[in-house]
Amino acid sequence: MIKINRYQVNKVLREINQNPESFKAYKENAAAFLAKKNLSSEEREAIAKVDFVSLYAAGAHPFILNAFVNRVWEGDRQKLDTEFRSKIAPFGYPDFST
Amino acid sequence: MAKLVEIIGITHNPFLPRLIKAPNPDPVVVKTAQDYEGMRQRMAKARPDVLIVVASDHLNQWFMDNMPAFLVGKAPYTEGPVPSEIRAFGLAPYRAKVDTDVAKGIIVEGSRLGVDFAFSDECTMDHAFTVPLGFVRPEMDLPIVPIWTNVLAEPLPTSRRFYTVGQKLREMIEALPGGTRVGVLSSGHLAVEVGGPKSSNYSSDTEFDRRMMELISAGDGEAVVKEATYERLIKAGNVTPGFLNYVLLMGLAGGAKPDATGLDFPKITAAMHYMVWDVDAGGAQ
Repeated sequence: MIKINRYQVNKVLREINQNPESFKAYKENAAAFLAKKNLSSEEREAIAKVDFVSLYAAGAHPFILNAFVNRVWEGDRQKLDTEFRSKIAPFGYPDFST
Repeated sequence: MAKLVEIIGITHNPFLPRLIKAPNPDPVVVKTAQDYEGMRQRMAKARPDVLIVVASDHLNQWFMDNMPAFLVGKAPYTEGPVPSEIRAFGLAPYRAKVDTDVAKGIIVEGSRLGVDFAFSDECTMDHAFTVPLGFVRPEMDLPIVPIWTNVLAEPLPTSRRFYTVGQKLREMIEALPGGTRVGVLSSGHLAVEVGGPKSSNYSSDTEFDRRMMELISAGDGEAVVKEATYERLIKAGNVTPGFLNYVLLMGLAGGAKPDATGLDFPKITAAMHYMVWDVDAGGAQ
């Protein structure tokens, strides 16, 4: 279980969702892209690995997180929704406020 | 004195335009397309000179670095949706002139009446505006005044505040100079969950949907304000507070019963619905 600065994490996820250049930079070299952001090492690792379970549990905004995962996911998209729902379910509804 | 002539509330479900155009559309979605064509006709019949559009922003434009509770757009033009939504949902663009005189009038009267709107001279609409406008005024020929509401970034204004802002908006409209005919279009949704454990291709709480539409149909604003607490909305689905825009409409209608409402459950997405007050046709007075 990691702790995150929700505002800073939401800000970076949203930038990747919205800005095609940031999306490209993240996809090409996530570590290099994230190194320039105001994030902790745990936050960088979770975003680089698309660790949606840790990010959800720590209170990343579900609307932004959902868009981020859908934007960057490279695995089987058919399975994504089911996997996302079942893996975050144990965490219920964490505090999403910033 | 300007005149409020029509109030319409419909969903801004971003999947809906594509679902309607699908090769074998869900029968409920087909009915919704017909219902929304009826909404277009009712708004046209009310002959508005300007449309005030009350809708939310899905953290596309406003963000927690500077989050407005209620914001009036007064840029000369506005358009949308944002590029990421065109990419994700294949939505059609909508561009409209903004009636800046009406926008400024709302801001000034709002201040007098206890509603201090934020404002913006450079604003982009997301699907919460373009989807309902595409159904109700596809001609893109009327000036609009966009009003944004915060329904996604906690802490939100309460249901009581949404109702009161609706009541005050009526007074603001009626204080505008000239004989401008004002239509109000709002978008929101009933129970819906995005990015949560209950996310699905169906309503996340049909009991909530039925109860709220029953209260709206009865014009029971007090009960809606009392029952649509933040906790109840989130229990219905993690982004259900988009419902609060309809609470604002109830305040705007001044407790009158809508002239028509509808609620249907398609098998492939959240509940379809509408509410309409034909104010100038002898409805809410």
